[in-house]
Amino acid sequence: MSDHDPDLEPVHDDAGDVVVAGIDELPDDAVKKTLGWAFWVCLAWLGGLVAVAMLAPFLPIEDPTEFRVGPTNEGPSWSHWFGTDKAGRDVFARAVWGARISLVVGFFAITFGLVVGGTLGMLAGFLRGWVDQVISFIFFAVLSFPALVLAILIVTSVERSLQTVSLTLGVLSVAPVGRLARAQTLVFAEREFVHAARVIGAKNGRILVRELLPNVLIPMGALGLLGMGVAIVAEGGLAFLGLSIAGENAGSLSWGKLINESRSIRDLQNIPHVAFSIIGVMFLTILSLNFAGDRVREYTDVRETAF
Amino acid sequence: MRSFLLRRVLQLILVILAVTFATFASLNIIGDPLENLVGPIIAGTDCDAVDRGEIEDASSTGGSRTDCEIIREAEAEYNLDKSIPVRYGIWASEILRGDFGRSLITGVETKELVKNRLPQTLKLVVYAQVIALGIAIPWGVSTARRANRGFDRASTIGSFGLLSIPNFALGVILLWLFALRWELFPAGYDDSSLSQEFKSLTLPALTLGLGLAATYQRLLRTDLITTLQDDFVHMARAKGMPPRWIMYRHALRPSMFSVVTVFGINTGALIGGSLVIEQIFFIPGIGAAVVEAVLRQDQPVVVVLVALIAVAFVVVNFFVDLFYGWLDPRVRAS
Repeated sequence: MSDHDPDLEPVHDDAGDVVVAGIDELPDDAVKKTLGWAFWVCLAWLGGLVAVAMLAPFLPIEDPTEFRVGPTNEGPSWSHWFGTDKAGRDVFARAVWGARISLVVGFFAITFGLVVGGTLGMLAGFLRGWVDQVISFIFFAVLSFPALVLAILIVTSVERSLQTVSLTLGVLSVAPVGRLARAQTLVFAEREFVHAARVIGAKNGRILVRELLPNVLIPMGALGLLGMGVAIVAEGGLAFLGLSIAGENAGSLSWGKLINESRSIRDLQNIPHVAFSIIGVMFLTILSLNFAGDRVREYTDVRETAF
Repeated sequence: MRSFLLRRVLQLILVILAVTFATFASLNIIGDPLENLVGPIIAGTDCDAVDRGEIEDASSTGGSRTDCEIIREAEAEYNLDKSIPVRYGIWASEILRGDFGRSLITGVETKELVKNRLPQTLKLVVYAQVIALGIAIPWGVSTARRANRGFDRASTIGSFGLLSIPNFALGVILLWLFALRWELFPAGYDDSSLSQEFKSLTLPALTLGLGLAATYQRLLRTDLITTLQDDFVHMARAKGMPPRWIMYRHALRPSMFSVVTVFGINTGALIGGSLVIEQIFFIPGIGAAVVEAVLRQDQPVVVVLVALIAVAFVVVNFFVDLFYGWLDPRVRAS
C-alpha cells in the first residue's frame, strides 16, 4: 500500500467487501480488470466438451468399441476425424467416450474434495484448539504420502470401478483443499466484520455460513477448476499403471487409458496419430482448466491486492 | 536452534508412525486380511478340508508351493491371530531390524527387491531434480532481469503450457520425438555401461524435470523481481558491479526460499511421477516393482514398498525443513 495514494484507504462495507474510495483515480489496468477473451475461449472449449461428452450416445459418431468401422491404422480423414486404430476403431469416438469418464472422475473427485475438505478445513480454522490439531495432523499425514502412491494403495484393496476410482481421488483431494480452506478461514476469522458479527450476537454456525463461507468459497472456485485438472491427470496416471477402472467396455475408457493403449513403441512408430490426438484433446482440456482457474483466482484477488 | 530441531524430530517420528500405520492398516482393515495377503484364489482354499484329506492340496498359481503351505506361512508370518496394533508392532519392529519380509507368491525377499530396484529410481529422481534446477535457475534469472519484456512473456506462456501437459503425455511425446523419430536416445533402459545408462535415463529425467523446471522458474522469477528492488541490489549496481555477478552472487540466494519450499513438496510428485514414467521407458525401478506387485495382488510387498516410499518422502521434507530453517532464521522462531 505504501506506494499507493493514501486517499485510497480500503473501507469495509457490511458484507465485508472492500470499497475503495476514489476508484476512478486508480490506474487504468486496475479499473479495466476483466476475465479476458482467452478465458471465454477456454470456457467455450470446456462447455463444448462437456456437451459432446454428455450427448455422446446420441451423437452421429461410431461405436467406440466396435471393430473395423473403417480401414485399420488409417490417419485422420474426413470420415474419421482422428483416424482409426489398429483394430479399425474410430479414434474420435473413443476420445469422446474417454472424455465422459475423465470428466466425471475429475468432477466428482474435486467436488468431493471441496465439500469434505472445505468443511473440515473451515471447522479447523474456525474452532481452533484440539479440533484444529487433530484435523491438521490428519491433513499433514495424508500429504506425507506422494499422492499417486496413496492412490495405488487404496485402489489395490478395492474393486476398481468408476465409483471407487472417483472416490479414491476424491479422498486424496480432501487434504490439499482442506489446508487451503483452513488457511483462508484463519485469515478471515480475525477480520473486523467477523468480530462485528460476534458483537451483535451471531452464533458460531451463522458466522461460519454467512460471514466466512462466502469469503472462503471464492478462492475455492479457482481451486475447483485447477483441482479438476489435477484429478483428470491423476486418473490418467493410474490408468497408465493399469490401475484405473477395470474392463474393456465403453464405460471404462478414459483418456489416460486410451493413451496407454496406444503408446507401445510399435504403435508410436506406425500409428502415432492415435496417441497424439488423445494427448492433444487432453492437453487442451487441462490447459483450459488451468487457465480458467488462474484467471478466476487473479480476477477475484482484486480486493485483496487493494490492501 | 536446539528446540527447533527437537520439535521437528518429534514431529518426524509421529508422522512416520502415522504413515506406516496407515499403510499397514490398509492391508488389515479393508477386506479380509488373509485374502489381501495371498489373493482371493489361494485364500479360498479350505485348508481344514485338506487336512481331513477331503480335497487335494494343489498350487493354483502354478508355483512350487501349494496353496495351504502359503496360507499357513501367511498366518504365521503376519500373526493373523493377534490384534491389529500388535501385528503392526511386530511388523514395524521387523522392518526396523531390516527384515522386510518376502513375497508369499514369488518367494523373493522384499529386501532383495528393494536393493535391485531402488538405485534406478533414485538416479532418475536425482537426475530429474538436477535437470529441473539446471534449467530453472538460468531461465528464472533471465526472465526476472527483463520482466514483462518479450522473452519473459513468451516464457510465461511456455511454462503455462508445460505445466498443462500430463507427465505421461510428455513422456510419450519425448519418446516418440527423440527416441523414435530422431533416434538420439535409446527407447529402453540399458545399464551395460555408465554412459549408456546415463543416456537411457536422460529422456525419463527430462520428462519429469521439464514440468518441475516450469514450477521453479515461476517461483524464482517472482522472488527475484522482489529482491531486485532491494536496496542492497541498488547499492551493488551503483558500485558498478557487473549485472551477472549481482544476479548470481547477490540476488539469487535470498530469492531461493520459495523454490526450496516446493523442492521438498515436489519430491512427492516426482516419486509419483517416476512410477508412471518408469513404465513408459521400461526402467526396472521401484515404481515398476510396485506395479508388478499390485497386479500380482502381492499386498505384503506393496505395503512395504509404499511404506518405504512414504517414509523417504517424509524424511526428505524433514531435511528440506531444516535447510529452510538454516536459510531463513525466522523459521526457527515460529
